Amino acid sequence: MKTVLSYLSPYKWLVITALIFMLIELSVELIQPLIIATIIDDGILARDQQTIIFWGSIMLALSFIAFLAGIINTFIASHAVQSYGYDIRQALFKKIQSFTMTTFLKFPTSSLITRLTTDVTITQNVVFMGLRIMLRAPLLVVGSIIMSFVVHPYLALYLVIGAPFLVVFLYWMSRRGLKLFGKVQRSVDRVTRKIQENLQAVRLIKAYLRGSFESTRFEKVADSLKVDNVTAFRIMELILPVLLFVMNVSLMAVLWFGAKEIQIGNAQMGEVVAIVNYATRMTGAFSMFAFIIIFFSRAKASSERMEEVLLEKEGIEEIDTDSPYSPTGIGEIEFNDVSFHYPTTDVPVLKDVSFIVTPGSKLAIMGATGSGKSTLLNLIPRFFDVTKGEVLINGVDVKEWPLKELRQVIGLVPQQSILFTGSIEENLGWGDSNATEELLREAAKQAQIHNSIEQFPDQYDTRVGQKGVNLSGGQKQRLSIARALVRKPEILLLDDSTSALDVSTENALWGALEDEKATMLVVTQKIRTAKGADQILLLEEGRVSAYGTHDELMESSSLYREIAESQQEGDNYVELHS
Amino acid sequence: MLNFIRKPFGYEPIVTKEDLKKSNKKKVEKASDWKGVLSRIWKLVDEQRFLLIIVLLLVVVSSALALLGPYLIGVIIDEYLTKSNFAGLAKIIGILVIVYVFLSVSMYLQSYWMIGISQQTIYRMRTGLFNKLQKLPVSFFDRRQHGELMSRMTNDIENVSQTLNSSFIQVFSSILTLVGTTAVMLLLSPLLTVITLTIVPFMYFAMRWITRRTSKLFKEQQQAVGELNGMIEETISGQRIVKAFSQESRMLEEFSVKSDRLKRTGFWALTYSGFIPKVMNLLNNASFTLVAAAGGILAYYNYVTIGEIVIFTEYARQFTRPLNDLANQFNTVLSAIAGAERVFTIMDEPEEVDAAIDNKDYKLIGDVTFENVTFRYNLEEESPIIQHVSFHVDAGKTAALVGATGAGKTTIMQLLARFYEVNDGRILIDGIPMDQLPRHTLRSQTAFVLQDPFLFEMTVKENIRYGKLNATDEEVINAAKEANAHDFIRKLPNGYDTILTADGGEISQGQKQLLSIARALVADPALLLLDEATSSIDTVTELKIQEALERLMEGRTSFVIAHRLNTVRKADLVFVMEGGKLVESGDQEELLKQKGLYYNMLTNAKI
Repeated sequence: MKTVLSYLSPYKWLVITALIFMLIELSVELIQPLIIATIIDDGILARDQQTIIFWGSIMLALSFIAFLAGIINTFIASHAVQSYGYDIRQALFKKIQSFTMTTFLKFPTSSLITRLTTDVTITQNVVFMGLRIMLRAPLLVVGSIIMSFVVHPYLALYLVIGAPFLVVFLYWMSRRGLKLFGKVQRSVDRVTRKIQENLQAVRLIKAYLRGSFESTRFEKVADSLKVDNVTAFRIMELILPVLLFVMNVSLMAVLWFGAKEIQIGNAQMGEVVAIVNYATRMTGAFSMFAFIIIFFSRAKASSERMEEVLLEKEGIEEIDTDSPYSPTGIGEIEFNDVSFHYPTTDVPVLKDVSFIVTPGSKLAIMGATGSGKSTLLNLIPRFFDVTKGEVLINGVDVKEWPLKELRQVIGLVPQQSILFTGSIEENLGWGDSNATEELLREAAKQAQIHNSIEQFPDQYDTRVGQKGVNLSGGQKQRLSIARALVRKPEILLLDDSTSALDVSTENALWGALEDEKATMLVVTQKIRTAKGADQILLLEEGRVSAYGTHDELMESSSLYREIAESQQEGDNYVELHS
Repeated sequence: MLNFIRKPFGYEPIVTKEDLKKSNKKKVEKASDWKGVLSRIWKLVDEQRFLLIIVLLLVVVSSALALLGPYLIGVIIDEYLTKSNFAGLAKIIGILVIVYVFLSVSMYLQSYWMIGISQQTIYRMRTGLFNKLQKLPVSFFDRRQHGELMSRMTNDIENVSQTLNSSFIQVFSSILTLVGTTAVMLLLSPLLTVITLTIVPFMYFAMRWITRRTSKLFKEQQQAVGELNGMIEETISGQRIVKAFSQESRMLEEFSVKSDRLKRTGFWALTYSGFIPKVMNLLNNASFTLVAAAGGILAYYNYVTIGEIVIFTEYARQFTRPLNDLANQFNTVLSAIAGAERVFTIMDEPEEVDAAIDNKDYKLIGDVTFENVTFRYNLEEESPIIQHVSFHVDAGKTAALVGATGAGKTTIMQLLARFYEVNDGRILIDGIPMDQLPRHTLRSQTAFVLQDPFLFEMTVKENIRYGKLNATDEEVINAAKEANAHDFIRKLPNGYDTILTADGGEISQGQKQLLSIARALVADPALLLLDEATSSIDTVTELKIQEALERLMEGRTSFVIAHRLNTVRKADLVFVMEGGKLVESGDQEELLKQKGLYYNMLTNAKI
């Protein structure tokens, strides 16, 4: 909670001002009964119209002051709350952006979304309440207790006799609430996750006619959210009845012992009545108290979730450090005895991999499905850190590189084309917002997508639908390639990203890429593509099985020959088009 | 410090026309349809209505008990305190304790049941929305951002949930008190009551002034939350690309723009709605002064007794409290309505139209005909993605679709799965126009391996079983073996029981494809659609599963998009697509004889 609250500190003056105005409002509210009493006693009862009008006007004036104070308080409080919300969202999002890919494995997308929206809102609500009404209840309670002690300490003692019990009870309840509401938020995560999954797989679900199956699965998570909510609120709603009961019983005690005191002459009737009045007022404030505790423990649960993100220490990478140190070179890549396993398992994906790619040359990486090809590429932009060995770019360990610089020299085209909402042009310039239109077109031409774009109704302004639904697989692949080329990378990493291209398009693409001086790492299934590379790295279950040129491997590697054979049918290459 | 106070005034009300136009063309700043929304929520309450009535009765009981308590205390003070009648005092205190026990119990029970009712209602709303999503056409999802839809499912529904939990009881008990006090006031003095009620029109106008603004603002706020959600979802899902291109700071900037919009709408929504209690207080005080002043004058001329005025002012104060509460609740109700409305908007979206004829048990033979089919994803597009395509595939035959990327092959597949409706022409299955065939009939007998493999967050076994829900473990394992996935599955930490994480990178794209093939293998369909089913699989593995795929295609009508010449060559029919048109079709020999595009492709493919 502390960390989250610290985001309020820039607005401490606003908070203080809001509180001052709230106190003004509150004091008017406290004076009002006195004025009303005066109007009744001195005005109405005494049939004195002058007094009525005089005090009436004062009351109106004070009400107006309270009104103004209230309006100003509202204004300032909502400003503070919304600014706080903005700041904390910003901080959370920034922190999330600095997560390493490993950390992302720990926090599912859906959970991050909930933390950035619902959790923030829940804490905002509490702060807003705090600035407007929260202080009122405690002040009323404390004020009433003090007043009753002033009136008659002995009797007042009975009024607070339940206090220790209540304190323990409320403390216990807020602890329970924290746990219960934390559970509720986790259920919200799951609901969000289920919906996200369904949206992503909408075609699959429809194709397999699994609508009702999915609904049943969703009902399960929705039901557990319901149960968690019901449990949490049912327990928390105990607060008010219990508080009221304890207060009312204390009141009975006051009356009983008050009667006795009056009998012995230790107390006046008026004193007892006064204490009874204070007790009733306290009881009224208690209903607000119950409300506050529910909201507060909810907010606490939410802020703990936000703090989990904000205070995440491991798995953070620097973004945007403009380091003066910029390793120079022209794209040399070296893997030195690299082993790797994903943080979630112990199963090694890469074992003792070593190779060097000289600047400007092209390395093809081949291997069976699941042999570690994509993982190997992921180690270069340091999405993951090697478990053993080192990856060197331009002779410098990637761990020593400033991340931004490192990724600046790399152009990555992932296996699954990820496009963003926006126009084609925006997607092309996505990696370099300063790129000129000319540059974008040039990259599009190189990636062999220019002609296709020209044929779209809005050409470069054509909107890319949600996750690129309106584009074919090959078009998406070529767009991602163009997007990487716009940045003029020294190192180009292509993760099987020409799989959906037909032969002639692909040939043209490789031809166009020849002009690029970039060092290329190309994961591919196709012998034909591999043949065009300077060297071929063949992976087998994470190990380097063979390394060399096509001809060398045809000689030395039986696995490579097997792959080649699988693509040979008579004189023909097996692959035809997308 | 002055600057801090001045700062909030710097906000400008949000321009919404554009946004509204974007999200909903028909609705331009339409105020909420209160009645409609409330009656729909009422419908969702459903069989809980009886329980709801019990809750209302309990509210009446607890209100009565809450009044009885102070009354009895008054009796104690007047009758017992000074008279040393301890036996009587003990008795009445005993009664009071019982009253308080009942009060607390009835209060607890009403919230206990109310929570049950509201959460059950919310559950219905949520699952209802989810079920609705299952019935919406694919094109609906193409247009919407995932995160935005997710926001409706969580943020908007959560808003309604909050309100149902607490507001319902409060609103009812406020109305109860209001009616009660007004009745007593009328009994005491109709004239003074009228004077007290003079504030009501002012309240009405003030509330109208405020709610006119807030109801719009709440809507905008929810919309802003939705957009923010959309952005977050997209960014985090595409985090790999964000990182690879070091665009973190730009994402942060874009985020701050959306976040700022939320801040601004939120600020105004909060501010305006926060005015409500303040205005109420002011009017209440004004009314009190008015009553006191008028009462004084009336008493002077002996129209009313002084005692009446004193009691009356006491009640006039009582009168304002529930009004205040109501005004406060009004706020939450408003924002809940804004949320509910967004949910109901989706509920009102047109569903996929389905054939009326109920021939559920119809067994597909698998004869497929395209008759002059034209299709475009977006009606505003000029050139259709599929233009006048006609072909016929006999049952049990395999057809290969070939052509450059973007030629429309995948679209043909999507039309076959009836993800979209054709704009012109028709598709016949077994001679029956597709739109007369219930989707259920068609899809239950179709297996579709999509270009982008997707796996759910469940075990490997369950993922394969997705193709046929009642498949035995043996069938699942056999399918996995045939798809050549068995070996890698065994190496997973928990084998077939390993839970796959959607975002996790432990499974490669190729392995995902193997699992999707296994999923299709267990399905045992009459119609098989394979869209680049093996594109990320290495050729050696591909060869191994080729046989299984061929066995699968045997006797089933199959449409295949593949880059393996072998697969294409074994097809009974080949359709060559170019720019959305079917340019060549026929069996292998015919096409080779034609020496057209297909012939060229084959010869080009040679070294």
